[in-house]
Amino acid sequence: MALTRRGFVQAAGIGAAGAFAHSCIGARGRENAVWSAVEPTLHAIESGVIVLASNENPLGPGVRVLNAVKAAFGESGRAPGRYSNAGRDLIDAIAKKQGVKPENVVLGCGSTQILRSATHLFTAKDKPLVGTIPTYEECAGYAEMMGHPVRPVALDANFKIDLDKFADASKDAGLVFYCNPNNPTATYVGAGATREYFARVNRESPETTILVDEAYYDYVTDPDHDTHIPIAVENPRIIVARTFSKAYGMAGLRMGYAIGHKDTIKKMADWDGGTGTGSLNVLAIHAGIAAIQQDASFTAEERARNRAVRDFTMHWFAERGMKPTDSQANFMFVHIGRPAKAFRDACRKKGIAVARDFPPFEKTHCRLSFGTMEEMKKAVAVFGEVLAKKANAA
Amino acid sequence: MSVSRRGFLRGTVLPFSGTVIAARGMEAYQAEAAQERNGRSLVPPGVTEIRISSNENPLGPGKAVLDAILGKFPEAGRYPFNSTPNDGALTSAIAAKFKIKPENVVLGGGSQEILKNAVRAFTTPSRGLVTGAPSFENCPGVAKKLGHPIKEIKVDSMFRLDLEPMIDAAKGAGLVFLNNPNNPTATVHGAKVVADFVSRVRQSSPDTVILIDEAYHDYVTDPSYQSAIPLALDTANVFVTRTFSKAYGMAGMRVGYAIGRAETLKPLEKLRMPYNISVFSVAAAIAALGDAKHIAAERERNTKVRAFTIKALDEFGCKAADSQANFLFVDVGRPTKEFREACAKQGVVVGRDFPPFEKTHARISIGTMDEMQKSAAVFRNVLRPVATSTGAPIEEGSWR
Repeated sequence: MALTRRGFVQAAGIGAAGAFAHSCIGARGRENAVWSAVEPTLHAIESGVIVLASNENPLGPGVRVLNAVKAAFGESGRAPGRYSNAGRDLIDAIAKKQGVKPENVVLGCGSTQILRSATHLFTAKDKPLVGTIPTYEECAGYAEMMGHPVRPVALDANFKIDLDKFADASKDAGLVFYCNPNNPTATYVGAGATREYFARVNRESPETTILVDEAYYDYVTDPDHDTHIPIAVENPRIIVARTFSKAYGMAGLRMGYAIGHKDTIKKMADWDGGTGTGSLNVLAIHAGIAAIQQDASFTAEERARNRAVRDFTMHWFAERGMKPTDSQANFMFVHIGRPAKAFRDACRKKGIAVARDFPPFEKTHCRLSFGTMEEMKKAVAVFGEVLAKKANAA
Repeated sequence: MSVSRRGFLRGTVLPFSGTVIAARGMEAYQAEAAQERNGRSLVPPGVTEIRISSNENPLGPGKAVLDAILGKFPEAGRYPFNSTPNDGALTSAIAAKFKIKPENVVLGGGSQEILKNAVRAFTTPSRGLVTGAPSFENCPGVAKKLGHPIKEIKVDSMFRLDLEPMIDAAKGAGLVFLNNPNNPTATVHGAKVVADFVSRVRQSSPDTVILIDEAYHDYVTDPSYQSAIPLALDTANVFVTRTFSKAYGMAGMRVGYAIGRAETLKPLEKLRMPYNISVFSVAAAIAALGDAKHIAAERERNTKVRAFTIKALDEFGCKAADSQANFLFVDVGRPTKEFREACAKQGVVVGRDFPPFEKTHARISIGTMDEMQKSAAVFRNVLRPVATSTGAPIEEGSWR
C-alpha cells in the first residue's frame, strides 16, 4: 500500500507539474520592474537533474532533524493532524541559541514572511524601500505590489554594497533591505563597516528601519564576520532575518525568523506570524527545534564542506578567465561573457539547472549555487562544453 | 548527497506502523497556548485529557499520508518549487479532482491564509466585512486589525446564518463571509438557498465579494446541501474555500485552498505567501486527495459518533442545533465558561466562548466513539442536577 501510494504521488506529480508550472509564476512576488522577474526552476525538476539554481544545502537537514520530524508524528501518528503550540518552544530554542529573549523573536513561513511583513510595516507611498541592485527580490516585489516606491542602489565595482552611496540613498527611506552576504552577488561587507553604516543611517535618518538579511550567515568565512543580532535587540530600527532554508538544509519545510527589539517584533507578530499558528506547519516547527539545538559542529561542517566546493568551482572559472565575485556564500556570481539565459538553457539540456536572470547583469553574469563536490565535478564538465561554444552562437 | 546520507534516508522511508488516533485544532491551540503561557492548564495534572475543542478529525491523516511525508525526506532541503513533484502538482491535483483549471485554484497555508488575504484584498475602511454571529472569527479578527468596518448578523432561531439581514448588510460591503456549515453552530444551508443568496447579493451589490467557506463540507449529510464550487466557477466575485485540516486530518500540515474564477482569485494569488506549502505538505495533500475512501469512512464514523453524542446530551436535557459537521452547538443551560471549566477538571476540554451565546451554549467537537462515551459520562456529572435553560430539572439517572 505504501509503495503504491508513493508510486501514485510520483506519477501524479510528473504528469501534472509541467502543464501547470507557468501559472504560478505570478505568485512569487517577483514581477517587479526594477529587480528580476522569473524563476525558471518553476518548471518541475526531473529526477537526475543537478539543481544549482536556488542556493540550497544539497545534503538537506541531516539525520537528527529528519528523525525529529518522524518523532513529531507521535507514537500513534496523530501529530501531523494537530495544531501544536510547539511554535512557542521553537521561539524559546532560537532565543536560547542566539542569546536573546523570546520576546525578541518572531517566526515566519521561511524568511519570506519576515521580509514581506517588514516591507508591509515599514514602507508606504511616501516611505520607499531601498535595496541594492541586484539583491534578493522579495521586498521589492512586495513593495511594488503595494504601490510603494523602491529605490535601487548600484553596487560597487567589486559587486559589493557601496556603503557611502547606500547611506545617502537610505535617507528618508521607510525600509532598507541590507542583504549580507548579498544574493545574488555573494559578496560580504564586514561587520565593522556594517555597524558604521547603521550608525550613520540612525543618525541621518532616524525613522528608517534596516532589515539585515543574514540568510547566508553560516557560510561566511571572512575574518571580520559577526552577526548583528546584538544590535537589533537593542535598536528598534534594526531587524535581523534568518532562515532554516540555507545552511540548515530545510528549504522545503518553510521556516525562518526575525530577531529584533521587542517593540519591533511585536509589530511584526501582530501583523502576520507570531507563534506559528497561521502559516507554519508542525513538522517544520519540530524540525526547527532539532536543527537549532544541534551543536555548532553542524554548521561548521557545512561551512567547511561548502568552502571546499566553492574553492574548487571558483578556481575552475578563474583558470578559464571568467572572474567570479568574492563569494562568502553557498553560491557564486560569475562573468560568463554571454546572456545568462543562453547559458542556463544550454546547461539545462545537459541536466544542470542554474539560476534565473539578475538584471542589470543578465547579459553577462550567472549565479551558480554550490552542490556537492561530486555534483560540481559533473557540472563543470558541462559548463566546459557549453562555454566552449562561442558566446554569440548562443 | 553522500552514500551514508542516502542509506539513512532509505532506512527511514518505511510505512508508518502505529495506530493513528487524534488530530486537533487551531482555536484550541490559541486558547490553550495562552493558558499555558499564563501557567495554568484547566486539566489537573495526572488526569487523562480528551480534547474535543477544535473540530478536528480525531483519527489524524492516516497511513497513506504519513508514508507520503516519509517519502519526501530526501527532498527536505529543496524549495517546494524544486521538489518532485513540485508545489504546482498539488494545484493540478486539486484542479483534477474538481475537473477545473489550475488557474481556478489558489493554495493557502491552511484556508486561514486565504481568509486573511480575502479580508486584506476585498475590504477597505469604507467597504467592510459582513459575517454571522457567531461564525468563524478569523475574518473579523483580520478586519479589526485593519480597522475596517464589520457587520455581524446574529444567526436565526434555528442557529442558521440569517441570510435576509445578511443580504441587506451586504449592500456596499467589501466581503461577505458565508461559513457553510457554520462554525460554531454546525448548521448548513441547502444549495438552492445559497444560490438564491448569492444571486440576490450580486443583484443588490455587484462589487461585493462572497467567500463561501466549506471547511466542513465532507461531514455534511443533509441531502439539500451541495458544494457552491460550481456556482463560484459560474459567478464573478464568488469563491469557495476548502481545507485539509478537518476531515482530511491534517490541521498541523497547513494546507487549504480557494476555488473560483481566475479573475476573482487574482488578488488572493498576488497576496499568497510565496512557497507557502512545505514539501512535506505538498506530498501529504496529494496523497490525501488520492484516498477518497479515507474521507468516506471518516464521514460515516463521524455521523455515527455525532448521533450518539446528540442523543446522550438530549437525554441530559441539552438540545443541540442540527449538526452537519464534526461538532455540536449545545444548549448547556449555563455559562460556557462554567461548563468548560467543570468538564476540564474531569479531563474533557470543550470549545471556547461564542458570543452572543456564551451564557448558554457550548461547542463540543466529535472525538472517537470511545472518547465521546467517556465524555458523555463527564457531561452527565457536570450537568446534573443543575436546571436546564428551560428551567426543567433533570432527575438523577434520567440521562440513561
